[in-house]
Amino acid sequence: MSALAISGAPAISRQLARLPGWTVLAVWTAAVLLPLYILVVSCFKTTAEIYDNRLGLPQSWALDNFVNAWTRADLGHNFINSLIVTGGAVILTIVVSAMAAYPLSRYRLGWNAVMLGLFLSGIMLPIRLASVELFTLMRNLGLLDSLTGLILVYAAIRIPFAVFIFANFMRVLPSELDEAARMDGAGEVRILFQIILPTVKPAVSIVAIFTAIAVWNDFFFPLIFIFDDRYKTVPLAISVFVGQFRTDWGLVFASLAISMAPILIMYCLLARQIREGVGAGGGMK
Amino acid sequence: MTTLRRTTSLKHTQQRMAVLFILPALAVYALFVLYPLAMSLWGSFFVWKGLRMVEFAGLSNFSRLFVFPSGARLYGALWHNTAWFFGIMVFQNGIGLLFAWLLFLRDKGAAFFQSVFFFPAVLSPVIVGALWRLLLAPGGVVEWALNGLGLHQGSLTVLGNSHTALAMLIAVDAWNWMGLPVLIYTAGLRQISGQIFEAAKLDGAGNARMLFSIALPLLMPALGTLTTLSFINTFNQFDIVYVMQGVQGNPSYSTDTLVTYFYRLAFGAEGAVGITDIGLALALGTLLFLILSIGTLLMLRFFDRRTVQL
Repeated sequence: MSALAISGAPAISRQLARLPGWTVLAVWTAAVLLPLYILVVSCFKTTAEIYDNRLGLPQSWALDNFVNAWTRADLGHNFINSLIVTGGAVILTIVVSAMAAYPLSRYRLGWNAVMLGLFLSGIMLPIRLASVELFTLMRNLGLLDSLTGLILVYAAIRIPFAVFIFANFMRVLPSELDEAARMDGAGEVRILFQIILPTVKPAVSIVAIFTAIAVWNDFFFPLIFIFDDRYKTVPLAISVFVGQFRTDWGLVFASLAISMAPILIMYCLLARQIREGVGAGGGMK
Repeated sequence: MTTLRRTTSLKHTQQRMAVLFILPALAVYALFVLYPLAMSLWGSFFVWKGLRMVEFAGLSNFSRLFVFPSGARLYGALWHNTAWFFGIMVFQNGIGLLFAWLLFLRDKGAAFFQSVFFFPAVLSPVIVGALWRLLLAPGGVVEWALNGLGLHQGSLTVLGNSHTALAMLIAVDAWNWMGLPVLIYTAGLRQISGQIFEAAKLDGAGNARMLFSIALPLLMPALGTLTTLSFINTFNQFDIVYVMQGVQGNPSYSTDTLVTYFYRLAFGAEGAVGITDIGLALALGTLLFLILSIGTLLMLRFFDRRTVQL
């Protein structure tokens, strides 16, 4: 990219020519960070203080809003539900998708392409449109108002993308890898979980990251499957808070902050993998 | 002979193991995705009583969809989704290209800006919608800032105004997903050989000329991915509308989308009495399914034909 610099031009005028570009980038950075800054400082303010002091730092870093959101509004309960559903869906998706991708990418079955195609067609399917029939099915299976039900539905939705990623990574591994193990008498289950899966760790982390984000953030399926407050997940609870506590702005801001915290931490730790994963496949959403 | 037997027995083991390995994923996927989707498409040709299929109805659900009282809702939602798609193409995927190009021209800071720009995309649309609902509310911080800058007088009611509400939602959605085009375009730009830009510069091409005459034609695969993704996402739009404007697409249905209309028909929030109309909902679902599949196929083909090979 340095090759694109205007060769020969003095350094100062070169930097000056880039000023408009830097300004554009700075403006959008502010457009992203300012709302998030307001979100963070408002968490520590009372509603009156939010009106008086819009952009400044709070008078004190009191945690009242967080405590109220966690206990009075019972967001803590929703938070644990979301953790269970996200963790369960990620593990289930990884295990069954890796199992399916292994023979589809490494055996010669004669029907690999057809089966792979069946899975891949699911990446684009608009599953929300099936929600009426899905509702009936879940009711008949006794999976309404159930975290297990949500885990199964999310795994089902994420399997196509996961099979696609695992199959792509497994296909390019050298065939000696499993053949040598087979010669040593290792079973197929052991070959998959002790030899193949550890070698495709990047695929595991891509699937884990994007499944976790999608499941943690989803709002539609809890909205139609969960009625009992005990089983509500974070996004569903938030959608209720916004109306219910509309006069208590500090509490709503604090609950937004709590609900984005896990994703924020993950993003800070894994920003590079996420950037590369999206850039490579666009495989999000 | 022994080798042959070993290969055949290996083939047998592999066929058996393959079935066992694939079965769990296939069972979950077929039961919770393929089966309900197929049943929904099939069910759109039937008369429904509550959640029960009663008798074959031919295309009557579909003809009801396009006439009074459903017609107004359907055409309204269809128009809002279309406007949303073009709005996103211009304001998200268009401006995103500018951002990606600016980052590509700079050797420093690309990773930082990409991370910042992409951050809202990992947040739930519910959180993004709720945050902007608070910021844009009457008495909110945007109103305060616009008043302070002298750009606006009095109470800010952009979300309550049927002329501006949809544009606001599109802007919030673009804010949410701006990082996506930036990442996909930068990945695409980095795959273009630097020599092409070198040669163009020697020929005296400026930055703008290089972007539109050289980079853009080579970015067709990236543009194709983005257009298809944006198409699918905008025609599935639900969360932001629900959180910011309610499931009726307030004010007066001006932000109603196909999926919010579908949700009301299917789960009983349409009209004053809030009754469900499953037959109509499934017909709308089938229509949306056709729009999405045909649209996606046409787009993939369109961009495939325009991909430049060097």
